[in-house]
Amino acid sequence: MNPRKDLITIDALSDEDIRTILESTSAMKDIFTKSVKKVPALKGKSVLTLFYEPSTRTRSSFEVAANRLSADVTTFTVSTSSVVKGESVHDTIDTLMSMKMDYIIVRHKNSGIPAVIARHCKAAVINAGDGAHAHPSQAFLDAFTIKEKYGEVAGKRVVIIGDILHSRVARSTSTILRRLGAEVAYMGPGPLVPQEQYTGIPRFTNWEQVFTWKPDVIYLLRVQNERMDTPFFPRSDYHQAFGVTEERLRRIDDLNLSIMHPGPVNRGVEICDAAMDYRNCLINNQVENGIAARMSILYHLTPQTQNND
Amino acid sequence: MTNTYITNATWALTGQKLDLRMGQSGDEPTTIYLDDIPLQGVNGVTDAGEMKIPEGARVIDATGKLLMPALFDLHAKIEIAGCSKRESIYRTGQAALQGGVWGMLVMPTPGFCFDNASTLDSFADAVTQRSAATMIPAGCITEGMQGTQQTPYNTLAARGVSILSDAEHVTDNILMLHRAMKYAAELGLTFAIRGDVPALTHNTYMHPGSTSYKLGLHGTPACAEEIGIETLIRLAQDAGAKLHIQTVSTAEGVAIIRRAKQKGMPGLTAEVALHHLLYTHENVGDYDTTFKTLPPLREQSDCEALLAGVKDGTIDCIVTDHTPCIPFAKKQDFVSAPQGMVALDTYLPAIYTHLIKPGKLTWAEVIKACCVSPAEIATPYDQEEGTPVVAPLLLFDPEVEFCVTESTMNCGTLNTPLLGTTLQGGVTMPLC
Repeated sequence: MNPRKDLITIDALSDEDIRTILESTSAMKDIFTKSVKKVPALKGKSVLTLFYEPSTRTRSSFEVAANRLSADVTTFTVSTSSVVKGESVHDTIDTLMSMKMDYIIVRHKNSGIPAVIARHCKAAVINAGDGAHAHPSQAFLDAFTIKEKYGEVAGKRVVIIGDILHSRVARSTSTILRRLGAEVAYMGPGPLVPQEQYTGIPRFTNWEQVFTWKPDVIYLLRVQNERMDTPFFPRSDYHQAFGVTEERLRRIDDLNLSIMHPGPVNRGVEICDAAMDYRNCLINNQVENGIAARMSILYHLTPQTQNND
Repeated sequence: MTNTYITNATWALTGQKLDLRMGQSGDEPTTIYLDDIPLQGVNGVTDAGEMKIPEGARVIDATGKLLMPALFDLHAKIEIAGCSKRESIYRTGQAALQGGVWGMLVMPTPGFCFDNASTLDSFADAVTQRSAATMIPAGCITEGMQGTQQTPYNTLAARGVSILSDAEHVTDNILMLHRAMKYAAELGLTFAIRGDVPALTHNTYMHPGSTSYKLGLHGTPACAEEIGIETLIRLAQDAGAKLHIQTVSTAEGVAIIRRAKQKGMPGLTAEVALHHLLYTHENVGDYDTTFKTLPPLREQSDCEALLAGVKDGTIDCIVTDHTPCIPFAKKQDFVSAPQGMVALDTYLPAIYTHLIKPGKLTWAEVIKACCVSPAEIATPYDQEEGTPVVAPLLLFDPEVEFCVTESTMNCGTLNTPLLGTTLQGGVTMPLC
């Protein structure tokens, strides 16, 4: 893999980049099985997590990943920083770069912010989710989880269900899966599923279409109420119309399909309680693989901060 | 005043060779008409070769160059963040002359909020002192462009205001606008407004399509502009007010205006921004904020419909929609960056290079849309007296080629996609 400073989108990666990061995700996961869970790969390097949006899973996953590679992790808490006093992103980054950070892991509600930061600094910038644009580390852990379950991604059919319009996960995960030879379809309430002519991805609006398509994996998304200032659909319809109900779970079980979800899960909305204990529910695998994928990503990026001392 | 003699010029509109004497002397008129276009400071037009030029006179040999009326821009913002008002006026005036523009309608901005008499007075003084180009202010429709309380239209009209606009701000309060139109109609004022339904375009950043999907940006539906245009037309018709639709960007928007004109709506005019004829939403690429405009850049089919609208007269004017944005502002992320491009510095060369030379528009269409129609709409003059809008002349050399660089940009900012590209056309103005 050629030296790469940042991870902003899956689109920006070569096939070799994708393959390399996925392959070493497996090696990183092996580290977990040892009694000493830490390797010195990033010893002496400093990692900053800069989350402008609330996050528990992604942030702690990145922090655990960085710790297991022996990096020093600093957490920048936006709510108590000068950002709330109106400081621009550029000025925040200048301040942080004066502290000689090697890796910046950033999440922001605006699409495109991580790219702006990446252009502006020498640290390796990892996009941990920007608006509805991209969430590449999620894409890697999803691809790895499917590969782990089925041996390979190519040829598999994955239907992503829910609020596609607001979902960076849908964009990044569909991109990596298609790059790896899988087929992807979208399903959800009409106003939340972009037209196929824009996405190049088949668009369904009910479960019958989904089952007819014969998917291998049902990938559920959270309904992002916080991004909907005006409702897009009658909320009380969602579970019956688009969720995995107990009846649909039985059909999913009969067909031996897998269920995935990037979390956090809204039980009773996109998924029923029973589905969380379903034998092919891969949600916990995703969480575990997230740490390995993020270790692999950190390991493969090359900050340009070496000569910046 | 010394006369200037222009020899061997080609009149852009007809391709005819002609010689001119410019300047005032004796009782000769200072305005003559060429193809119905009244021209400033011209004394005589003769057939080539017949004019007697006194020895020592100032002569411009215009061989190979086109003579044409200078352009008028009906939509420019001149406020440059971080610059004083006087500096903004000076720089914009210089940029205008470079782009072949003799005058412009200045849209209100927070720093030039034309909602009261004193702002208009101090602006007029500053323009007289600092600007090389004519700058006509568009009075605000509402105080502070807030969309609630109408400005004192009588007072503004007494200061020479003939067009009212809240610039890019479109109000949700149709009742207020309807009443404003009814009141201002009595004063003969024109409303210049963009078609929009703010509730549909709130928190949207570009045209909806494959690019907006890829970038995760909410799309600005074309129907918002179309519903807005239809609403404005119905309101203006009912109120009997003159209406100028600003920056039309959609094919259906053009069709709505065409239908209204065909039905016979007096006082309805429309404009398109040059960038909506040249670029599409795909130019946004990977969050290129240079291409963030309001309304957003749309599809190729929209560009073509807008061009057809210019050709058949549905769209009366092409405008710059000149909007200076300082480099820092455009370096932000796409959501936070302001909308707008600057276009005055490069205006006529860009029109020549990208519209005339490729055969998309003729010189006659450009002169109508960029010189004659906008000046007629913007310049207050008594229709009954028939006092004409007098345009100065410029010489255009189609053979000159130049690269747009920081040093060729006078307007104070660099937010144009033409930066670093090569344009054809050299502008000489003023001629005397």
